[in-house]
Amino acid sequence: MRARTEGKHFGEPLVWLAAAVCLWAGQTAWAQGPAASTEARGRTGSRGLRAGAEIPPEKIQELYRKILSDWSAGQTDQAPDELIELETAVAVDTDARTHRILLKEEQAVIHQVGGADLEALVPIAVLHHEAYRRLLERGGRGHALAMVHTRNMAKDLALLYSEQSGSEGAKLVASRLLTSLGGLLLQSAQQLPAAEMFQKGIELDGRNIAALLALSTVYEKNAQAETAVKLLRQALEIEPANAEGRLRLALNLKRLDQDVEARKLLAGLVADKEPSWVTPLAYQELARLDGSNKKGAAEAEKVLRQGIERFPDDLRLRIQLAAVLDRRGAPGEATALIEKALAKSTPREAGASRYLYNAVRADEFAPTRTFLDENSKSRLQVLAQALSAPPAETTGTGVAP
Amino acid sequence: MTGAAGLLLAGAALAQVAVRIQSPSPDQPVFGTTQVDVGVSSGEKVDRVEVFVNGKLMGTAQQPPYKFNLDVGDDNIRREFRAVAHTTSGTAGADTIVTLPVQINDEMNLKLRALFASVASFGKSNLTLNQEDFQVFDNGVPQQIVTFGRDELPLTAVLLLDTSESMQGERLEAVRRGTRAFLDGMKPSDEAMLALFSDRLLNFTPFTSDKKELDSAIATTQAAGGTAVNDFLYLSLKLLDARQGQRVVVLFSDGSDVHSVLPAADVLWKARAGQSLIYWIQLGGKHKSFTSAWRDFKGNDREFDELEKAVQESGGRILAINRINELEGAFRNILQELRQQYALGYYPTTAKGDGKWHKVEVRLRGGGGRVHTREGYADY
Repeated sequence: MRARTEGKHFGEPLVWLAAAVCLWAGQTAWAQGPAASTEARGRTGSRGLRAGAEIPPEKIQELYRKILSDWSAGQTDQAPDELIELETAVAVDTDARTHRILLKEEQAVIHQVGGADLEALVPIAVLHHEAYRRLLERGGRGHALAMVHTRNMAKDLALLYSEQSGSEGAKLVASRLLTSLGGLLLQSAQQLPAAEMFQKGIELDGRNIAALLALSTVYEKNAQAETAVKLLRQALEIEPANAEGRLRLALNLKRLDQDVEARKLLAGLVADKEPSWVTPLAYQELARLDGSNKKGAAEAEKVLRQGIERFPDDLRLRIQLAAVLDRRGAPGEATALIEKALAKSTPREAGASRYLYNAVRADEFAPTRTFLDENSKSRLQVLAQALSAPPAETTGTGVAP
Repeated sequence: MTGAAGLLLAGAALAQVAVRIQSPSPDQPVFGTTQVDVGVSSGEKVDRVEVFVNGKLMGTAQQPPYKFNLDVGDDNIRREFRAVAHTTSGTAGADTIVTLPVQINDEMNLKLRALFASVASFGKSNLTLNQEDFQVFDNGVPQQIVTFGRDELPLTAVLLLDTSESMQGERLEAVRRGTRAFLDGMKPSDEAMLALFSDRLLNFTPFTSDKKELDSAIATTQAAGGTAVNDFLYLSLKLLDARQGQRVVVLFSDGSDVHSVLPAADVLWKARAGQSLIYWIQLGGKHKSFTSAWRDFKGNDREFDELEKAVQESGGRILAINRINELEGAFRNILQELRQQYALGYYPTTAKGDGKWHKVEVRLRGGGGRVHTREGYADY
C-alpha cells in the first residue's frame, strides 16, 4: 500500500539519480582510482565474468536481479562479491561509457523493485555499500570506475529513499549510510568527499554524533579550529559525556587560545572515573597546557604524576614527566623514571592513543554500520517480495535491447 | 723465607723489566675515558701488563701495544696510575705516575664538557694530531683541555629506528642490513641499544655488545603504526645521560614526527644541554609539508626545522638518502666518522649554570684543517 502511494513520484528522482551518478563518475572516477591493469581486464570471477567483456543489457539486469535475490536470501558473504564481479566486469576504467551502461541496467531493476516497495531500496543501498567497502579493502586496483559507481549507487539510493519516503526514520537510515560511506572515504584518505558525506548526513539528522565528530576531525586536520569547535559543541549538546568530543573540543579551543575552557574540559576528562582511550591524552594535554609557562611546570609535574599513578605502564607519560623534571633541574630522577619503565618489558600500548587521535579508528563507525545492517536485514523480506512482484506500469528502462 | 728476604728478591727481579707509563702525563688532570699507553722493555717474553688506578686493577693486556682505554670517572681527584709488567718466568717491572685534580674555585660547580671533533685536511680525515694541536674556546675564552683521546674511544650508541607502517617489507629489510653493518663495525668495548619505534616503542634491547641480541631484536619486529620521533629521541638522549664516553644516537626515519607529545623544542633543549651526538638518516629527501589532527602545516614545518637544528647543534650530522638501498652505506659512514673523532674534554671556566647558550669553537694551532664539532651548549 505504502509502496504504491510513494511510487507515484518515483520516476523523477531516478532521472536525477542517473544524472547525479553520471556527473559524479565523470568528475571523480579518474582522479581517485588506480588505472585499469591488463590483469584486471582479463580476470574472471565465480560467475565467469571477465572484465571488459561485452555483456548484453538484459543479461546485466538478470545478473543484478539474481544478486539482489541472493542478498535478500541472506547470502551476505556471497552477494557483495557477486556484485563486485558484475560491476567490475561491465564498468572498466578504460571506457567511461561502460559505466553508463551499468547504471542504466541497474537503474531499470531498481525502478521495478523500488516501485513495488520503497523500503526495498534500503538493503540494496547497503549491498552497494558493502561492495564498496570490500573493494576498498582489497585495494580496488584497476576498478576505479566500478568503485565510484557502487559508492554513488549506495549514496544516491539512500538519498532517494529518504526523499521519497519523507519519514524521519528514512532520514536516519540515509544519514547513517552516508556517514558510513564517509568513514570509508576517510580511511582511504579522501577527506573532501568524506566531508561532503558527513555534511549531508548531518543535514538529514542533526543528532548524528558520528557524523558530527568525523566532520569536526576533517576540519581539525585542515587547521579550521573554529568550524571544528562549532561542530563539537553541537555534538556535545546531544551527548555531553562523549569523551572524544570533549577532548577534541579542548584541543581546538587551545588552538584558539581559549585556555580556560580547554583546561576545564581536560580537568573534567581526567576526573572521569571510567577511563577510555582518550584519558591518557587528557593527562598529557593538560600537562602541556600547564607546562607552557615556567610557573605552570609544578602543576604539569603534578598532573603527570597523577597520570602515571593511574596508567603505570604508559611510557609516553613517563617521557613527558622526564622532560618536565629535566627542565626543573632533576635530571637524575628523570633518567631513573625512564629506566624503570624500560626495566619491565616492552611498554604496553605506549603512545597508541596519540595515533588513534589522528587515525580513522576501526570502532569509530561500528555503531553506524550495525544500525545499517539491522535496518537492511529487517527489510530483506521486503526486497525478496519486491523482486518477485510484477513490473509496475510506470517503470521502464529506456535502454535499447 | 722471611718477608724481608722475599722483598729483596722481588726488588732484584723488578730491575730486569723496564716499564714506563707514556700516557697520561703525570701532574695533569685526568677524567672520564682515558687512554693509558705503557712501554715495556724486557729481555724475556712478557706474559701480561696490568694497570691499576688508585690501587684497583683496571685493565690487563697480554700483547703489545699495551694500550688501555679506561673510564676513570669524572671526579675531580688525584689519581695514581701504576703499570706492572710480568714476564713468563715470574719477574716483574712497574712504573707509577700521579695525576692531579684541577685547581678550582670552591664556589664553582664545574662539569666536564666533552667535545667530539672531526678534522679534515684536503677532504680527508686527519687522525695524526695531538692534544697540543687543539685549542678550545668557550664563549671566546681559551680553555684548558684536560682529557684527550682519539680513535680508540669506546662508543655507546642508541640505534633509534623508525619501524612505522610505511617501513614494511623491503624497507625494513634494508634497515636490518644497515643495522647489521653498524653492529659489525662495533668493537668489543662498544655498546649499543636498539630502539625500534613508531608512534610507540615496538621493541628495544638494553645496552649491550652482544651482536646476536641486537640482531634478533630487529629480526623479530613488525613495522606498524605512526611516527613519534621527538618522544623517542628524547628518551634515547636521556638513557645516554647515564653513560660515559662517546655517546651517540643514530636516528633513521622515513618521515616526520606526527604523534609525539613532546615538541621538537624539548629535543633541541636536551641536545643543547646534553653531551650526546645525534645523527639523522633521512629517507625520502626533502621534508614535505603536511597537516594532521595534532599540528597544522606551519607547526609541522617548524617541528622539522627544530629537529634538524637539534642534530646540527649536537655536533652530529644529517644524512639525506633518496633510496633505501643507500641506508647500509649511511650507517657505515656514520660509524667511520665516529671512529675518526678526537675527544676533547675541558672544564668551562665560564660556567655559571644559568642555562645560557655557550658558543664553542675548536681551532687547530697553525690551521691546516677543518674541524667539525658541536656548535655550543646550554649551560645547565
